[in-house]
Amino acid sequence: MIEFIEFILFGAAIGGIFALIASGFSLIFGVSRILNFAHGVCFAVSAYSAIFLIKELSLDVYSASLIGVAMAVLFGLLVYAMTKPIRNNAVMVIIVTLAFALLLEQILLLVFGNRGLTLTPFVEGVQVIHENLRIAKIRLIAIPMAIAILLALDLFINRSMLGKRIQAVSQDLEASMLIGINVEKVFIVTIAISSALAGFAGILYSQIFNVYPAMILRVLIYAFAIVILGGLGSFRGSILASFMIGYVYLATMKTLGAHWSEFVMLITIVGILAIRPTGLFGVRE
Amino acid sequence: MKVELAQLIILSAILSLLPFFVPSAYLYLIGLALVFAVIVVSWDLIVGYAGQVNLGHTTFVGLGAYTAAILQVPSRIGISLEVHPFVAIILAGIVSATIALGIGLVTLRLKGYYFSLVTAILPLVFMQKVFIWKDVFGGEEGFSIPLEKAVFSTTIEKYYFALLFMLLSVLFMLYISNSRLGLRFKAIRDSEELSEALGINVTYYKILALVISSFFAGIAGATFVNYRLTVSPDLYDVSLMLLIILSAVIGGLGSLIGPLLMGLIIYLAKNWWLTAFRFGIINEEVILYITLILVAILMPRGVYNEIRQRLRLISLFYRRT
Repeated sequence: MIEFIEFILFGAAIGGIFALIASGFSLIFGVSRILNFAHGVCFAVSAYSAIFLIKELSLDVYSASLIGVAMAVLFGLLVYAMTKPIRNNAVMVIIVTLAFALLLEQILLLVFGNRGLTLTPFVEGVQVIHENLRIAKIRLIAIPMAIAILLALDLFINRSMLGKRIQAVSQDLEASMLIGINVEKVFIVTIAISSALAGFAGILYSQIFNVYPAMILRVLIYAFAIVILGGLGSFRGSILASFMIGYVYLATMKTLGAHWSEFVMLITIVGILAIRPTGLFGVRE
Repeated sequence: MKVELAQLIILSAILSLLPFFVPSAYLYLIGLALVFAVIVVSWDLIVGYAGQVNLGHTTFVGLGAYTAAILQVPSRIGISLEVHPFVAIILAGIVSATIALGIGLVTLRLKGYYFSLVTAILPLVFMQKVFIWKDVFGGEEGFSIPLEKAVFSTTIEKYYFALLFMLLSVLFMLYISNSRLGLRFKAIRDSEELSEALGINVTYYKILALVISSFFAGIAGATFVNYRLTVSPDLYDVSLMLLIILSAVIGGLGSLIGPLLMGLIIYLAKNWWLTAFRFGIINEEVILYITLILVAILMPRGVYNEIRQRLRLISLFYRRT
């Protein structure tokens, strides 16, 4: 029983972090039809910036995290600027973003080395829920934090004017232009929000787990599994799928070991594509 | 076809003379570059001709490499049945092609981005088997093949073997790309809807393109192993994938000869000429990635096609005056 509660709580924390990454990836794809292979860059850049700021300039964890997320947004906008001239050429967009991701991975390897680093958590210590059930406080706090951000994003997309414009562009680009929506502005806002989400996911993740430069590509595996399960371009689908994939990931880690997680993700993806290629909530392209 | 054939023959003739001028340490690298160039050309077949963006080509290279290595050193899995290197290379190609068939059957019947998404994570998945069964596959270090079990032992022999391998593979792919089959691939690349309307079975030909391309990736991986006598997870690595993409994109997708030449140049640049540039956060990989981003943004059609276009414009201009 105690193990089960621990599993549920820890899985929710992982699922929440995955949801922050995947919803941004899905938003960018939905709005601009860009497959952003550099999405993991925002995740890693914010975590590594915060770790660097705390270690070298001994900043406190909150301002370091804030600067980290700002760095993520900056890199997101950089990706926007790089893909702008070739946006109609899907092959080149994939190649440029993938090359950018590998470039950053290489630079992080040269600067920080290939060892795992962690960020000082917002709250230290262990919460004793029951005498046998002790969970690090940051794992507990990560759940409401992620859920609050996702709820705010859901409200923003469905209620605000700008959010409705984002929806309009993702449904039909040409029609949105015709009714006078500034499509470029919508692209920029989307990529900035998505990068900030990935950046915040990086901050939370590095407070719970170790981060390695190779995470830049590794997080993409989970993001792909989530968006395919949830349906490409569906925001709510990707959030639901994140928690499912989070539990699948944790169950794999507990039973088979961490080495198997990629393999299980591939089986999941191939299984979904074979049975229901549009995912849970996807629309046929 | 004639122009490409002539270019290929001239290139091979020049390369066959190299052992008389080049010291054997460099000859060894050029031979590796020739095998790498075959991988690049086979990637061009699926991406440049059939238009399916395969981001996991190294999966099939690595599968072929490990299949051949295990078959040639069967004691690692506790079997004493030894396979001749040539048979092992062909079997490696068949294993890669079979896995590709499975992947293609699931992903290529869907339109859109699914194929790219799935192939992008394939190398990361298949690489894990090396770490899970460490005593069979040798983990991070890989394992080596005893000299007497490889195809050839001296550098000169290996070089000519690599050259012959390159020539035969590229000739075959050149033939395919100019046949009716290649024409169908190009039709699918340019418009799937139109091809379907013309009665082309789009899914069938997309899968066929993937299987052929992966077969060559597999035998190239196996040849790579027989050439350098070690197998290690770097053959699955995403950085090798980027090197393939870089060569094909700069060389010009869909021209086979452009990617072939660029494959040779890029491989030698990475492993020979650029290794001197290592200071601070700059190394040869950083330089190559920045080059790739710049080329993709500034010349999305590739340097080879861009130059050919310019030359055609110039010759048109002179003909008119």
